[in-house]
Amino acid sequence: MVNENLVKDAVKEPYKYGFVTDIETEKIEKGLNEDIIKLISQKKEEPKFLLDFRLKAFKKWQKMKEPDWAALGYKKIDYQDIIYYSAPKQKEKISSLDEVDPKLLETFDKLGIPLTEQKKLTNVAVDAVFDSVSIATTFREELAEHGVIFCSISEAVKNHADLIEKYLGTVVPASDNYFAALNSAVFSDGSFVYIPKGVTCPMDLSSYFRINSGDSGQFERTLIIAEESSSVSYLEGCTAPMFDTNTLHAAVVELIALDDASIKYSTVQNWYAGDEEGIGGIFNFVTKRGKCLGKRSKISWSQVETGSAITWKYPSCLLLGEESVGEFYSVALTNNLQQADTGTKMIHIGPKTKSTIVSKGISAGNSKNSYRGLVKMGTKATGSRNYSQCDSMLIGDQASANTFPYIKSQQANSEIEHEASTCRISEDQLFYLQSRGIEFEEAVSMMVSGFCRDVFNQLPMEFAAEADKLLALKLEGSVG
Amino acid sequence: MEIIEKIKNNKSDDNLTEIQKICLHKLQSSPLPNPKSELWRLSNKSKLSTFLDYSVNEKDSKFDIPYPKNSQSNIRLIIGENCQIKLIEKNYSIQQLSEDELQKYIKEQISFFKQNENWSDLLNLSLSCKNNILGLKINGSKIPPIEILSHASINSLNAKTLVIFLEKNCDVELLQVNLGKENSSLSQSTFFCLKENSSVNHGVVSYGENRSNLLNSLNVIQQKNSAYNLGSLHFKFNYARFEISIKQSAGNAKTNIKGMQITKKDEQISTYTKIEFNGPNGFLDQINKSLADDKSHAIFEGSIIVPKIAQRTDASQLSRNLLLSNSAQIDTKPQLEIIADDVKCKHGATISQLNEEELFYMRTRGITLTEASKLQLSSYFQEIISFIPISKDKWDLLDKILNEN
Repeated sequence: MVNENLVKDAVKEPYKYGFVTDIETEKIEKGLNEDIIKLISQKKEEPKFLLDFRLKAFKKWQKMKEPDWAALGYKKIDYQDIIYYSAPKQKEKISSLDEVDPKLLETFDKLGIPLTEQKKLTNVAVDAVFDSVSIATTFREELAEHGVIFCSISEAVKNHADLIEKYLGTVVPASDNYFAALNSAVFSDGSFVYIPKGVTCPMDLSSYFRINSGDSGQFERTLIIAEESSSVSYLEGCTAPMFDTNTLHAAVVELIALDDASIKYSTVQNWYAGDEEGIGGIFNFVTKRGKCLGKRSKISWSQVETGSAITWKYPSCLLLGEESVGEFYSVALTNNLQQADTGTKMIHIGPKTKSTIVSKGISAGNSKNSYRGLVKMGTKATGSRNYSQCDSMLIGDQASANTFPYIKSQQANSEIEHEASTCRISEDQLFYLQSRGIEFEEAVSMMVSGFCRDVFNQLPMEFAAEADKLLALKLEGSVG
Repeated sequence: MEIIEKIKNNKSDDNLTEIQKICLHKLQSSPLPNPKSELWRLSNKSKLSTFLDYSVNEKDSKFDIPYPKNSQSNIRLIIGENCQIKLIEKNYSIQQLSEDELQKYIKEQISFFKQNENWSDLLNLSLSCKNNILGLKINGSKIPPIEILSHASINSLNAKTLVIFLEKNCDVELLQVNLGKENSSLSQSTFFCLKENSSVNHGVVSYGENRSNLLNSLNVIQQKNSAYNLGSLHFKFNYARFEISIKQSAGNAKTNIKGMQITKKDEQISTYTKIEFNGPNGFLDQINKSLADDKSHAIFEGSIIVPKIAQRTDASQLSRNLLLSNSAQIDTKPQLEIIADDVKCKHGATISQLNEEELFYMRTRGITLTEASKLQLSSYFQEIISFIPISKDKWDLLDKILNEN
């Protein structure tokens, strides 16, 4: 039998990213209306097409209703009680990293993100986003040599307006859903990546999102374009301080892959999840979608979701190009009173398209973890294939695990396979490990890590190690 | 939608039974199911309205039973026709439920009804007149197989209700046959209560003729140590819904379900199952097969609900689908909702076509393509059909499906 006391006595690691950086910020007043949107646009010196895009999205958002179909329960969000723009005050133009407020650099250092290029240890270029604004992007010159554009989306609006105008909102239109419309109206910053034809990005690109203020929402927007025969691996990390209030995070990520291009998008999401009583925590409503436009293009999503009080996230692939490939690898862990409704959509439109879904859900404490996925074969998707596997693990008898796969086929010459299982940590295996002198907690963490192996194998190296540790840490004190 | 109008304008009629009044009252505020709800969103709206267009017919026209009773050992009952039965033998007894028992049980069930989930039942009970409700209490063992027939008459909507109590330690084989007539709608609701240690092999076979419609709902409550085996087959309906709700009221029970639906032309047939475990040690093995050809649409939605109390539940659900035409459509959604941690639950779903290698193998041995596909299909069907009690010889189900045009 599992010794419950042993588990309850186990050390509980506090959320170590919960600190607040004391820095002067520029905030606009709370609330959302056309004037606020115009103000945001004006502050960011945006061209007219973008302001029109925002206003149009806002009009659509006003007519939409917040979705209620997800298996989530949370108190109503007051959209007028949120600050839609908050930025750390700094000098007008930064010519080099030395001019960035040292406090900010310190913050990112504390988070383990080296921004100062001298300190570069890993071969990863980072775009750091603090509240609503991109602070710094490293390795720009090296990337520029290869023709890769990696910058904040605000900069891209100024310097590469043609690309933004061409692609923004083509994968996730403003009217797509309630949160995407809200994001389209008020998005503040985010990352922009453009990989030119035939280029394999020389290093991994990474964005680090940090929410610092308690009353401002974060609405970032990421756009990645991979031209013909190019490839890129992109990593995304998120943390936030501990506040008693719930902070709204509604992001949109759009990926576009042309002929033979491949994009790998990895996320380790560790927003503040609220305390054990469920007070505070981030409400994470994210729309992520990739469009495999070209032939033989490939988009691969891998995610480790451990944070947020509420997670509502379905990274999806639209498989348009012939023989294009979509992948989704996910580990979602919920503990205490966290709720996650996450999964993917694989929409097969073109012929001979393939998709793989591997989802692992772990629910502990009083949490609720749901997988919700859609696999759809359109009438033209001849010879297409999908394989889905979603496994859930329950830890403790208060947590719940749900699986809602929607499968739809209109193409006789295609195949769909789906399998799902739910289990608990096997006592036999625990006993075996313990009898060989492995501590209880360590044994549990080993088994969880084994359960998630298929997904961790897909993560870039640095992330895989981090993810493993993160899960062990999150589960501490909850196993019983 | 004549019926909906009637429901809306309903002023309590003196001829109506109390149950009819309760159900009509429940339907009055929103007479139709919410088309956006998960259970109804894929349902073809125009087909549903065709279902409701026929006028209600409480008296059946005489109909020819496709297979006359050719064996003395079977008991055959036709709902709406010979509702009188009282058989008391040495080993067993089959009797009608008294009016009070029937009322009490149905009222209790209605109290749990939800507008969308049980809309078919509410409609059925508000239309079903006294003559069309059959209540049976079955006791004992070595009971001869029972056949219960329901049918609709041409150009009308018929509602039939069946309530069965299986007493303790009772063991029975029961085949329900729902026959649709040309241009007709049949609303059939069945309520099954399995008491402790009872077991039943239940078959549900529904088939229609041109443009027949069916709303078939089955509510089962299983007490401890009961075993419920269901084999079902639905085909040849313009529009059919089969809604199964099974509740293991105290766990420790076994449920086996093997179901199949076959759609052709522009038919739409759907199966919705909801299995709830309200106690520990429950067992479920479910397989649902669909075959969709031409421009038809087959739907399966199955949910398994395992609350905290249902520890050590072992449940598996498999949805296997064959899509034979590019204009046909299959939707499947097996789902699990689990809170108990010490459980084994799994589900699977596949959508594919006939196996080409197998076809090729048979053709190289001189079997024509048509024959080879038939062989493959018959093995696909056989697993389900062999599970349906007392159908094997008499109802020629396999032959009916394979040679159906």
